[in-house]
Amino acid sequence: MRGARHGTMNALQRIAAAAMSRDLCGFVVPGAEIARAVGIDLGDAGLRLSTTPRHANVLVVIGRLPAGLLDAASVVYAQMPRPRAILTLGTNDISPLPVPDATGPLTQAGLEAAIADIRRIFAMAAFQPDVENFEAPTLETSTEYTCPMHPEVVQEAPGNCPKCGMTLVERETAGSAHRGHAVPEQKREVAAQKHSKPVAVCHDRSKGGHSADGDNHEQHKTHGSGHKQHHMRAKPDSTEAPLQYTCPMHPEVVSDEAGSCPKCGMHLVPVAEAGGHSGHDHKAHGKAHDEHSTDNHRGGHGGHGGSERVEGVEAHFMSMVDLTRDMPASADGLKMEWIDVPFGPFFPGLPGGLQLKLTLDGDAVATTSADSLVGSSDPLPANPSSPIEFVDHLAALSPLSPVAYRLLACLALEKAAGQSVAPDIARARLAVVERERVASHLGWLAVFGAQSGSSWIEKRAAAFQLKVQGAAATDVTTLKPKISTFLAKLQRTPLLAARLSGIGQLLANDTLSGPVARASGMASDTRSDDPVYAEIGFSVLTMTDGDALARLVQRCNEITQSLDLISAVGSVARLEPHSIGAASGTGEAVVETPRGAARLSLTLHKGKVIAADIKTPTTAHLALIGDVAEGQELGDALTGIGSLDISPWEVTS
Amino acid sequence: MTVLIVLVALAVGAYLVAVLESWAVHGRLEPARPAISALALLGRESLLARTPDRLFFEAGPVVLLLAGLLAVAVIPLAPGLIVTDLATGALFLNAALAYVLVALIMAGWGPNGAYAMIGGWRFLGQFVAYAMLIVMPITAVAMRAESLSTVDIVTSQSTLWNIAYQPLGFVLFVAAAMGLCWLPPLDLPTARGDLAGGIEAEYTGARLAVLRLARMVLIMALAGATVTFYLGGWLGPWLPAWAWSAIKILFVAGLMVSVGRLVPRVREAQYLEISWKLGIPLALANIFLVGVITLVVPI
Amino acid sequence: MNALTQYGVLFGLTLGTIGFVLCFYLLACAIGGTRSELGKDVPATAGSMSREPVWVRYHAKYYGYALLFLAFDMEMAFMYPWAVVYREEGLVALLDMGVFLAILFLGLLYGWSQGALRRQE
Repeated sequence: MRGARHGTMNALQRIAAAAMSRDLCGFVVPGAEIARAVGIDLGDAGLRLSTTPRHANVLVVIGRLPAGLLDAASVVYAQMPRPRAILTLGTNDISPLPVPDATGPLTQAGLEAAIADIRRIFAMAAFQPDVENFEAPTLETSTEYTCPMHPEVVQEAPGNCPKCGMTLVERETAGSAHRGHAVPEQKREVAAQKHSKPVAVCHDRSKGGHSADGDNHEQHKTHGSGHKQHHMRAKPDSTEAPLQYTCPMHPEVVSDEAGSCPKCGMHLVPVAEAGGHSGHDHKAHGKAHDEHSTDNHRGGHGGHGGSERVEGVEAHFMSMVDLTRDMPASADGLKMEWIDVPFGPFFPGLPGGLQLKLTLDGDAVATTSADSLVGSSDPLPANPSSPIEFVDHLAALSPLSPVAYRLLACLALEKAAGQSVAPDIARARLAVVERERVASHLGWLAVFGAQSGSSWIEKRAAAFQLKVQGAAATDVTTLKPKISTFLAKLQRTPLLAARLSGIGQLLANDTLSGPVARASGMASDTRSDDPVYAEIGFSVLTMTDGDALARLVQRCNEITQSLDLISAVGSVARLEPHSIGAASGTGEAVVETPRGAARLSLTLHKGKVIAADIKTPTTAHLALIGDVAEGQELGDALTGIGSLDISPWEVTS
Repeated sequence: MTVLIVLVALAVGAYLVAVLESWAVHGRLEPARPAISALALLGRESLLARTPDRLFFEAGPVVLLLAGLLAVAVIPLAPGLIVTDLATGALFLNAALAYVLVALIMAGWGPNGAYAMIGGWRFLGQFVAYAMLIVMPITAVAMRAESLSTVDIVTSQSTLWNIAYQPLGFVLFVAAAMGLCWLPPLDLPTARGDLAGGIEAEYTGARLAVLRLARMVLIMALAGATVTFYLGGWLGPWLPAWAWSAIKILFVAGLMVSVGRLVPRVREAQYLEISWKLGIPLALANIFLVGVITLVVPI
Repeated sequence: MNALTQYGVLFGLTLGTIGFVLCFYLLACAIGGTRSELGKDVPATAGSMSREPVWVRYHAKYYGYALLFLAFDMEMAFMYPWAVVYREEGLVALLDMGVFLAILFLGLLYGWSQGALRRQE
């Protein structure tokens, strides 16, 4: 086992290994919803799921892992404590991850066999005398040395800046050592020691690189000149060089723009406000400060004029007004540090593959940045392609709703070839798509249950989803009353309305699509234009509020409606494109996927697809994440994002 | 000797409640699961995050375990079967449970990781919400018993259990107790969906085992406190005193770990609002009501 | 047992707990040590590496509640001894504490009206 722990299997280790083989805990990549969508029940096979790699000992990879997720999967694997194993089902090559310890086909039986393998491996090989470290390019970091004033100066070894002579500051960056100018992940230095005693630092400043400071430093021109120059520099709108920023604790750090100190992470303050912390020796400094306190030329100083001088500590040292002068203010006017936290791509409760980065102001979301790591900028197969290839490729685009895209491709091909299908086949196709809609919404309910902490909802919805998928029409009809009772009980859950109402409010506008649009009151459903649907009595369902609760109720109502439609049709069929021979032409088709309307237009030439264009609903919904999450508390923001039911696989940039 | 018996009883009780909790979460009754989990955790590596606050990181689970054990030390299981029958038992219970907050803040701050830190600070908000609702009902209970000793509180219920005498206090106390041991729906610090494990996430291996043990001990302590203050402790006909204690404590603990999972997690802002706008006035009303009743009715 | 012995027992319990935890950790160490590898020590953030320190000033939104909590906590410190002698003292005790609680309650109502009891965005 490659992820074994270093050691030999003595009695103690054997007991521990036996216990570990019975206590398997898996972290699913790209996500548990993908496992359910392909019909695999992970809990049933005896695998507990964990929300964090730290508590997992098996990395479960389901299906094809797109290239964009390989780095993230390596990170997750690296963060699992040893002994750790990898289990893949139906997966392609997953390097840089090591070779899987157990593989299997993408079926429930395959999963159970693989789990039995893993148990055996744990019991026998959890401790091994020779283990190798896991290495991957994403994990590597290198230490480089940079000048705080000239970030473009980067060297491998400590030294002095060739431009200004300052001592180079150490910084850790992503990437291996020979990629010298890799963009740093963050400006702050990571080995943030706790703030050392300020007094010592302050006194250090007189020696910290100042003597070496060249004449480029603007403030050094005024070094020791005392009162007058000090005033000049203090005016920020002076005609001289633009305002410079320094760290109150590390005065040798000076930069041209506001940001964070590379040594301690504190916010940089304008040089004048720091009371001339940088670039003086004590005597001039003390004099200048007295001038400052009497001269209220900056509003901020007035308030601090009366602050008592502590021996050895500079006046205005770490005064909150100075420190927070340039920081963004929260809605209540306080200026606190904001942190950037990633919430993806494998965050429980959010769709797998969605890379979400939130800037948190306390526990509220200040800014968001969302991206899909599994979307494709090139979703359509290379031209020219045969119809079968085209249909299969499109079905593989979105593992969460393959049937809808398959139907989309079939319809577009048939329109382009000028053919039409028999009514009974059209109705059977309708039933298949509706069955997938039911399964997709139930899957969303399971994710919602996981995110909101109600394990009852999660388990029941997941069980129903697995039953409905691939069920014949008669089975669906028998499941219908049970699902309806479940949905009714769900909507009566105490505190559900308290949890969801008012969150993620979206007003009706043209970028919305699918249940999100209909929950905001827009009657936009492409199924209402379809004669086959009109025949069996379809009418658009809408809700008015447009918040997360409305979307939940909308999806529940759509489940019930789809179940009714399937019963009305009475049979489900496999989707195959009609043979189109050597036809030519252009065609456009629209299908209401579980997440919204998807449009495909393609051009056929002699039976081969030579050009195609696709629009998916999710691409527009990614932009809604900002509207839904910003300004909200973290839990509310994540609930709102979850209620949009984004499928990162469908994102086409 | 009594210390040993109480600790053994605590261990057995905690094991049983762990089995119950695993049943509630995973739907399967696996009696050997806690033991297997503990052994498995011993076999895993115990990771330390980079640039942690080492003292806080290590101390978090230990302080949590201490808080739980010290709280258990004043819970009477039978007449004479109590580790220390302090004259200020109820107050000591409060003091010990206050360290839960300290432990969780330490656990949140220690690993220098975003999810853990947010979990820790969220727990502080939760603390501000539940703390008064733990303290005020205990005051009302002490008013009836004329003493802070937990043994006296139990014997004062020999005519009528406090759950019937002060039902309002009971409801408030149990709700606040669930907030204290962060059981769903009040599991803000370790929210699975919001924070991917929160404060528990950065603990692995042996430290995680200690943290989970500490949480189980804390749940037992709070169940014991509920039974002592409101359900008459060891009082009951036919069965011996320790049997009644065991039945009641296991029942309360089982309810606490399972009932909350049917409901979605609270929003912190709403929890604080309800606690302070509804809970505190109700708790004050409870004290006043109990004050009037104790003066009028002799039991 | 007199109070001193009792606190001695509790202190012993504390030491015993710490000793138990240490033994547990020693047992875990005997099974094996932690191997330090690349990326393992970065706090787990759902698949992205996040090496930035997060020890910043946290903008807690519940500071209105926290201030009121201080006042009420001080009040509860007074209520405990009062509760013990309450029944003896009778109606006078009820009225005395009633006045105290009423004043504090008015403070709560004032805070409520001024918007202290909400999430301070």
